[in-house]
Amino acid sequence: MKRLWAAVQFDVRFQFRHGFYTVYVLVCVLYWVLLYFIPKGHKETVTMLLTFSDPSAVGLILAGGIVLLEKDQGIHASLFATPLRLQEYLLAKAISISLLSLASAWAIHGVAIGLSDNPLLFSTGVALTSSMITLLSIGVVANTQSINGFILLSQLYALPFVIPLLGLFGIVSPYLYAIIPTTGSLVLLRSAFESVSYTEIAFALLILLLGNYFVFTWARRSFSQKIFCN
Amino acid sequence: MIHVKGLRYTYPDAELQTLHGLDFSVHAGEIFGLLGPSGAGKSTTQKILIGTLKQYEGSAKVLGSEIRQLGTDYYERIGVAFEFPNFYNKFTVLENLRLFRSLYKVDTINPIELLSDVGLEEARNLKVSQLSKGMKMRLNFCRSILHSPEILFLDEPTSGLDPVNAQIIKEMILKIRATGTTVIITTHNMQAAEELCDRVAFIVDGQIKLIDSPRELKLRLGTKQVRVEYRDGDRLRAKEFDLTGIGSNEHFQHILRRYPIETIHSSEATLEEIFIRVTGRSLL
Repeated sequence: MKRLWAAVQFDVRFQFRHGFYTVYVLVCVLYWVLLYFIPKGHKETVTMLLTFSDPSAVGLILAGGIVLLEKDQGIHASLFATPLRLQEYLLAKAISISLLSLASAWAIHGVAIGLSDNPLLFSTGVALTSSMITLLSIGVVANTQSINGFILLSQLYALPFVIPLLGLFGIVSPYLYAIIPTTGSLVLLRSAFESVSYTEIAFALLILLLGNYFVFTWARRSFSQKIFCN
Repeated sequence: MIHVKGLRYTYPDAELQTLHGLDFSVHAGEIFGLLGPSGAGKSTTQKILIGTLKQYEGSAKVLGSEIRQLGTDYYERIGVAFEFPNFYNKFTVLENLRLFRSLYKVDTINPIELLSDVGLEEARNLKVSQLSKGMKMRLNFCRSILHSPEILFLDEPTSGLDPVNAQIIKEMILKIRATGTTVIITTHNMQAAEELCDRVAFIVDGQIKLIDSPRELKLRLGTKQVRVEYRDGDRLRAKEFDLTGIGSNEHFQHILRRYPIETIHSSEATLEEIFIRVTGRSLL
């Protein structure tokens, strides 16, 4: 636990030092301006869209960027010649980026709509979505050699995770993609505006936790095979 | 301390084996050199010994345990300094050492003390990106001994360094050995190996061709002669004598008495010459 906490603390400082937090303040300001001009009748849907896409974008872009920076600085060999475990490294990234996602999600939501009806579920939805996409991004970056390759491949891997948004706009029946973990993200984010049944909450938590577990396992295997053995 | 028997390794997706059955042991408290040209298998051997590559065949035991069965607690007991001294460039010298220090459960040395030992105390608040290669190599060494490891693995510790910085690193290696740490050096720098190592192993094409102490090798495989350069009037002359019976060699003693001596050297082979003779390969 001590090592994990040390790794989380360092990741937060790393992100701060590389200016990620400053960029995110600017992004939030941009969102506030955008939401200010959205008519009241659509504000909830747009806010939900932003609080869904933002943690995903944070996880997808930042995590890959951080690992690419670390790769570029050649730090992994030395880092993994210490007692730090690969799972601690991955979890530290997921936790630190989820914290940033939570801060930005609350900043966007709080300013646009006010306090959430169900802050705990809302926060859980943001954090689990962010951690899952962070781990996905690390798995992708382990399989690529260049920034261009990462950008291309990350979009490809992330595509299935945005399919549940079709349901938000009533395009396709939600039952067709119910097992995609981000369906759970939308349920938990929706709890900020309206009541959600216990069954829906339990299902949302289950598929998000399973999604996190499978993506974590895949990221760990990819990282271990592609980064350790080279 | 380290026992390797029949060690073989093939990289995933590679057709050819990289290591073809290595056998060697390293005793506690010695400096052991793995010497060979690029691509000989030195780094692969080191990667196996530090637990990075676990899909090896044969046996590689360190500190009494088979490496493939060891978890990351193994790194509480060993230190590793890679050839390239990579750090978090936007962080200072001290911040980097504090991060690495925070990853150990065992007692660690105060980074300020270590920096002071290697002459980097003044640089503690500089970002790593501002350091020279020599300073980074010294910092790299500090990082590897933060937790007072029982075994220290050094990959090309003097690579790319000027003579002053190379000497500082060599003195640091001898100092850490004096505390009882076993040191494994992977290098193709024969001069550094000759100065530092108690024993060396010559690795070529994934096989060990020979293991012995540099001194023994030089005595056994070198020519036992002494070369004298002396001034005879305006002319510089040189003469070689067999070392056997040199004390009673009249001609040798006559030169010593009669002429001003400019240089006098025994002409044992260098480690590099022995390497080429034994392996038939050069080091580059």
